[in-house]
Amino acid sequence: MPLLTKTNLRSWRDVSIRVRACPCRKVYEDEVKVTPDRVHQSLEGQSSILEAKGHPDKFKEAERCDQRCLCNVVRMHRDLVIAADEVDLGGKNEPPVQSAVVLCWDVGRTMSMALPGEESSFEQAKKVVLLFIQRQVFAESKDETALVLFGTDGTSNPLATSDQYQHIIVHRGLMIPDFDLLEDVHSGIKASDDQADFLDALIVCMDLLQKQTLGKKYEKLHIAVFTDLSSPFSSDQLDVIIDNMKRAGITLQFFLPFALDATGMRDSGDTAERRSNISQGKGLTAQQKEGIRMVRRVMLSLDEGGLDEVFTFRESVEQLSIFKKIERKPMAWPCQLTIGSKITINIVAYKAITEEKIKKSWISVDAKTLRKEDVRRETVYCLNDDNETEVTMEDTIQGFRYGSDIIPFSQVDQEQMKYKTNGKCFSVLGFTKSVQVLRHYYVGRQVLKVFAAKDDEHAAVALSALIHSLEELEMVAIVRYVYDRRSNPQIGVAFPLIKDKYECLTYVQLPFMEDLRQFTFTSLKNNKKAAVSEEQLSAVDALIDSMNLVMDDGEELEDLFKVSKIPNPHFQRLFQCLQWKAFQPDDPLPPLDPHLKSMLDQPQEVADSSLASLEQLKKLFTLRDSGKKKEQKMAQQIFKNNDPEEQDAKRARSDDDFNIVSLAEGTVTAVGSLNPAKDFQALVQQKNVNFGEVTKQLMERVYQFLEVKNHQYYMKSLDCVKVCRKEAAKVGESQHFNTILKTLKENVEQKGCKISGS
Amino acid sequence: MSDWRAHYHNEDEEDQDEAEENEEDVKFTGRDSLIFLIDASESMFEVNSETEISPFDMTIQCVHKVYTSKIISSDRDLLAVVFFGTQKHKNSVDFKHVYVLHDLDSPGAKRVLELDRYQGEKGYKLFKEDLGHSWDGSLGDALWVCSNLFSDIRLKLSHKRIMLFTNNDNPHANDSSKARMARTKANDLRETGIILDLMHLWKSGGFDISLFYRDIVSLSEDEDVGMQLKESAKLDDLLRKVWAKDYKKRVVSRMNLNLGGGVELSVGVYNLIHSARRPAAIRLYRETNEPVKIKTRWFNGETGSLLLPSDTKKAQVYGQRQIVLEKEETEELRRFDNPSLVLIGFKPLSLLKKHHHIRPSQFIYPEEELIAGSTTLFRALLTKCLERNVCIICRYTPRRNTPPRFVAMVPQEEQLDSQGMQTMPSGFHLIFLPFADDIRKISFTGKVVADRDQIEKMKRVVQKLKFKYRPDSFENPVIQKHFRNLEALALDLKEPEEMEDLTLAKNDVIDGRIEQLAEEFTSLVYPPDYNPDAKGPQKRKLDESAGRAEKKAKVEVLVGEDEIRQHLRSGTLGKLTVPMLKEVCKQYGLKGSKKQELLDAITSYFSKH
Repeated sequence: MPLLTKTNLRSWRDVSIRVRACPCRKVYEDEVKVTPDRVHQSLEGQSSILEAKGHPDKFKEAERCDQRCLCNVVRMHRDLVIAADEVDLGGKNEPPVQSAVVLCWDVGRTMSMALPGEESSFEQAKKVVLLFIQRQVFAESKDETALVLFGTDGTSNPLATSDQYQHIIVHRGLMIPDFDLLEDVHSGIKASDDQADFLDALIVCMDLLQKQTLGKKYEKLHIAVFTDLSSPFSSDQLDVIIDNMKRAGITLQFFLPFALDATGMRDSGDTAERRSNISQGKGLTAQQKEGIRMVRRVMLSLDEGGLDEVFTFRESVEQLSIFKKIERKPMAWPCQLTIGSKITINIVAYKAITEEKIKKSWISVDAKTLRKEDVRRETVYCLNDDNETEVTMEDTIQGFRYGSDIIPFSQVDQEQMKYKTNGKCFSVLGFTKSVQVLRHYYVGRQVLKVFAAKDDEHAAVALSALIHSLEELEMVAIVRYVYDRRSNPQIGVAFPLIKDKYECLTYVQLPFMEDLRQFTFTSLKNNKKAAVSEEQLSAVDALIDSMNLVMDDGEELEDLFKVSKIPNPHFQRLFQCLQWKAFQPDDPLPPLDPHLKSMLDQPQEVADSSLASLEQLKKLFTLRDSGKKKEQKMAQQIFKNNDPEEQDAKRARSDDDFNIVSLAEGTVTAVGSLNPAKDFQALVQQKNVNFGEVTKQLMERVYQFLEVKNHQYYMKSLDCVKVCRKEAAKVGESQHFNTILKTLKENVEQKGCKISGS
Repeated sequence: MSDWRAHYHNEDEEDQDEAEENEEDVKFTGRDSLIFLIDASESMFEVNSETEISPFDMTIQCVHKVYTSKIISSDRDLLAVVFFGTQKHKNSVDFKHVYVLHDLDSPGAKRVLELDRYQGEKGYKLFKEDLGHSWDGSLGDALWVCSNLFSDIRLKLSHKRIMLFTNNDNPHANDSSKARMARTKANDLRETGIILDLMHLWKSGGFDISLFYRDIVSLSEDEDVGMQLKESAKLDDLLRKVWAKDYKKRVVSRMNLNLGGGVELSVGVYNLIHSARRPAAIRLYRETNEPVKIKTRWFNGETGSLLLPSDTKKAQVYGQRQIVLEKEETEELRRFDNPSLVLIGFKPLSLLKKHHHIRPSQFIYPEEELIAGSTTLFRALLTKCLERNVCIICRYTPRRNTPPRFVAMVPQEEQLDSQGMQTMPSGFHLIFLPFADDIRKISFTGKVVADRDQIEKMKRVVQKLKFKYRPDSFENPVIQKHFRNLEALALDLKEPEEMEDLTLAKNDVIDGRIEQLAEEFTSLVYPPDYNPDAKGPQKRKLDESAGRAEKKAKVEVLVGEDEIRQHLRSGTLGKLTVPMLKEVCKQYGLKGSKKQELLDAITSYFSKH
């Protein structure tokens, strides 16, 4: 898996959406019903694992990622979620629920030591912390993060006494992470010369969580410890620690410079395999080995799968390098599905797939002061006269174009006369064979999933009957959909979607008659230009074989390139640049992150295997670049210009240029009938044409015109003769002209026509 | 609901983007122009006994439809109506028997009205009085007038077309010089890039193209099937023919399809479906009703001095920090590739999910102009993709400074209707695929499946209400209403024309068809006292009881021993979720964290016990 390695997948995917963090109480109530599926819902949403029937591998991966990653700290813990639901049931309107995370970072003496050519543990840990906070900042997460440093020179924490909890500093209490914190981590925090007990630090963190979350509700309490385990510790309070953590529901993760099993204590399995490349275990000190044993003990007593919550710095950096996926809370849209007036089913719909946009847009700021207040915008209306006389908004009225006419149509009138709907609606107009609704008819920019209304079992049965009957008949419903009173009605298709865990109708908008464009294209079937030989066809066949993105090993299909798992590169790039600019405001933008770039490229194995068939294709098909496109590109590259308007103008101009160039070079090859005089002149001036030949062509036109016996054509003929005379004189072919004229005269006289005024 | 609302607005913004894209189209390609050249000799007014309509009447109705729909869909196009074979004449070169009713301009209300005057029997009389008929007209003259109409237009014209409506298959049978002149002029037109189409109409005895028109009309490479078409006797046929000819294939962009290894072919991208919208309002000066220009100015709030684009930068705020970028940089960060389609690989069509839709599809067709030989390779790809039922996954960058998206190129074979008209061209549809960010997680209710009786009953309902869907069956009521309102205002009508809203469910018809069944179905799925319309207190009660049921529901999560044994027998234990499996393990004191470990533990435990 060259592109979407599991690691990659994990890193950005599992940071997922927080449905349950919804402030709206209703959602909680809704979820109560679905307890049996709760856990799977979260999986489903992130990775559609349920769709991957017969993909045990996928399943495993998803599960693993669900449990293991640092990213988890920003996601609800499933056990906690259930608890939250229960608590919430009786509750009133609760405030938003978020997570609280304490980053517990060892900045002690040994952390800054490094082998030559390698990064110190301190630097590595710093990277992970930075990445984590960055993701939180750009996702605008409401989760609160605190930073506790240990191994510091000084001491500052509420538990400190003269000899207890020394060299531990609560650097920052629970707050929503911001750039101040980022900056601190980036350049403010330095490694020190002291060291501290990591278990002590853990207690400080727990104390912090306990005190600072008092009276507020969090769906997850979490501590992440970054250390090299080189400092001595005392395990006196270990049981208390574990006990308290369990009781408070605090989850814990360790981030170490080496793998936990580097010492060979951990047994095999793919985990070991995955980590085997980080084999720094040899250099571990006795203290560190001691520390490892302690970490194992702590983690295992918290959860039998606890060892999966221990990471190396390196793998974390990799996983966190992709920014968080954009999160949106799906909003319920309750309505009634109707079939005529007799069948009514209570439904609720959610926007399930839609092109997600960045919430924020660019604001304009003054280039010098960088203040947006200094940039004001004003819109003025002016008449189309020479002075561009300004008029006030009040002096204008609204109008619409009706073809070439402009019809004044006041807003009030328009409101009154416009099409009105009776509010929300999801009514079936009829049913049709699903093959009649082709995929490319789909319009609109969203997909709705339609479920039965919450807590309405009867509606669920009724909807299920509809879903299954459509499925069995291979039919779909054509529906009128109106979001609310103010929105425009849509026609759309509702088709059944049946999964293991749920079933629903899926709604997509269809076009109106006005939206269709009946373009006609030359048939490719009987097109001589597109005649394809058998050899060529089999070369394409080979190409398809070599570039197959789906591996089929007989038992299961593996999709090598799942687009629905790739993060939108636009967002990734935007965040990367913003973050860069925040710290390096004067530097140019950084290059595209190679990790991101590789996600957008062909899987390496496909690229490799297709080389031969592409070579064959090249041999069999003649493809000749006319060079037109390139020239344009080059111009744009040379005059690197980013102003879109100007660019467009340029593009338009260069298009014109091409036309002129092609006209001058290509078109005039013979004397045409439309403007023979001009053609003739052009040809004579080209000079590579025989004058006699061109004159002959011209005269052919003249004779043709005379046949028509029409005044206009007589005049045209005369023009031709005049031009011929002029050009002949210029090139010294007067004799030739005279002969021609003589012949013409005889001819005309024969036919009984007279040319006057020559 | 605020979220949803916010997105609703979002969509409007997107539409604006889209509108701008279109604007661009026009800027580059110029305006389209179309002249309806209509034979007005007496034979055109003979009523076809079968269809009870004269060819002339049909033509006028057809032009009317084109006018009104152009007003809606492309009001920048220029249209003209020219009659030939009239007694009177009106044209810039004073040719006899050629009457320019409308010269090239965008269609408006007045023109529609003027045209309507010549409709029907009354219209015929009026036409006779106003313009009269004559057999002395010359088609050549008429074409000359048309070409003058084109050359009088100062705007850049992208598409020049004349549609000739006639039912006379040999207009100058007795005058060879007129016939010759028509041929010559037709030739002239072709050379200037004016396309001449024949819309031949019903004539008793049939229309024979070979007599005269074979040499007259343009046969571009695009229209190799055109000539075999039968004459149009019905308005619908005629309209369809007109539409098919009139729609200029406006290419959205041209780009290379890069297969890798230096193999590239060029394609044109088209929008076969493009949402028509109610046009935006324009501001008019109250006194004169003339449009005003709207100017947006940027100025410094403190000094009041105007700001040039270079005096501002762009910023966003994250983590309470304002991050500033140069305007050029905001463009640069959107730049990944040059406009192109880059092949990633092939996938079976069956893997393309029906519900993974994010925006309307586009269409691609080979383009010889940039890379010669593209058509052949394109055809080969299309043939093989169709044959093997695969689609092509590509990275698609539609424009510069636009981040890429992935598309599935779905092969489309050409389709013709019974008349031999193309209903679907051959090429590839570009289906846009969602990124991870575009897929939302949705909490769903548990699965309740209807029983066989209920499903069977609904199946009968479905079959009763079966119809054949066609994408052109539904008019957009919002747009139609808007233009009818404008029309009423423009033409001083008392009331806007009635409009049938085709999007509304015809409940009486539906009820009539399924009356019995509907009752039977509801009684099968709903208890007698169930009222789907009930709201308020009743519902809340439901919620509360649901809350109390919660504890019980949770217990049900636990998978019973029988169920596990069942799963083991059928080998479906893997279907259970990890937490469910963990729960099971807990019950029996088994250990494990990963799914496979859990499965193994359970399997070995139950095989022993």
